[in-house]
Amino acid sequence: MALSAGPGQFMLARLDDVARWAQSSSVWPLTMGLACCAIEMMTVTSSEYDIARLGSEVFRSSPRQADLMIVSGRVAQKMGPVVKRLYDQMAEPKWVISMGACASSGGIFDNYAVIQGIDTIVPVDVYVPGCPPTPDGLLYAVNLIQQQIREGGRGGILARA
Amino acid sequence: MPSTQVPPIAGSATDPPSIRPPIDDATIERVAPAQLRARLEALKGDGYAMLLDLGAVDYLQRKPRFDVVYHLLKLRPTKAGVAEVGSPARIRVLCGVADGERLPSVMDLWRSADWAEREVFDLFGIVFDGHADLRRIQMPYDWEGHPLRKDYPMRGPARERSPRPSFANKSNVVAGTPPSGRTLEALQEEIRRAREQ
Repeated sequence: MALSAGPGQFMLARLDDVARWAQSSSVWPLTMGLACCAIEMMTVTSSEYDIARLGSEVFRSSPRQADLMIVSGRVAQKMGPVVKRLYDQMAEPKWVISMGACASSGGIFDNYAVIQGIDTIVPVDVYVPGCPPTPDGLLYAVNLIQQQIREGGRGGILARA
Repeated sequence: MPSTQVPPIAGSATDPPSIRPPIDDATIERVAPAQLRARLEALKGDGYAMLLDLGAVDYLQRKPRFDVVYHLLKLRPTKAGVAEVGSPARIRVLCGVADGERLPSVMDLWRSADWAEREVFDLFGIVFDGHADLRRIQMPYDWEGHPLRKDYPMRGPARERSPRPSFANKSNVVAGTPPSGRTLEALQEEIRRAREQ
């Protein structure tokens, strides 16, 4: 099939596919850099790793404008309700990356002050192991999120469970 | 005069000596709770204008149980001759406090005592009389218990009941087999078989 330049050409696609392609190509994260993992998250925005080429052009400070929450760092007991509130304020569809050991399971902080894994308060889509994970790890996690958006599960303009 | 020994409570046999070398040339002195407020006011009048920190130590087996430590700093005058300018003078005031005993607040003398006393209250449970707003500062406001006391469970009261995952109890460690489930001999057997085919 040759695409020749000329009037009258059009393409057919499913609306769902186009919507998922658009959503996966512009996943905007919410800044939830809480501790040391935030340094690696900042590194991922630098030119060597460059998360902008995956579509995450801007990190939004407002949960209303973001669709991905990257929880990077240990979550204290006082911070837990704040994370939950910001997650609730994000508009559907939304995804969560639990970056690092502390966000995934409490990390090395097996004590009274740290929440042992944010999956006790928000639903998590991708866990990234590491203390801290390399920026490549976070990029891979964003790739997995994009894969989840494109290929099924939650997301898409006709979002289903 | 620098000292490596924390001055003990008079007559207390279980008072542990400080094993730290002197990290600064602070004068260390011990004061009873009844004289604490007067002594600190005298020091403030003497020129110790800065309360660097206010902390506490929990000696579980000693009576009185806690030591509250005040770190004070006296800055040298800036308009002075060469001979007078030197490093600031430091003093550390220790006060033995029993469990349940209340101390006077020094918030009116030094504003930095505000949050420092809130922190000591939050983590040790020592109440300061006269503090304007004594509530928790690091733990959530409705937290129960004082975490830095030596008899507080480290993992938190709720999780202390659940067993800590211990790798020593994992089945492969107990049985002496490698985690992959294949011993060295089995792996070598596999390699040998693969080479022969």
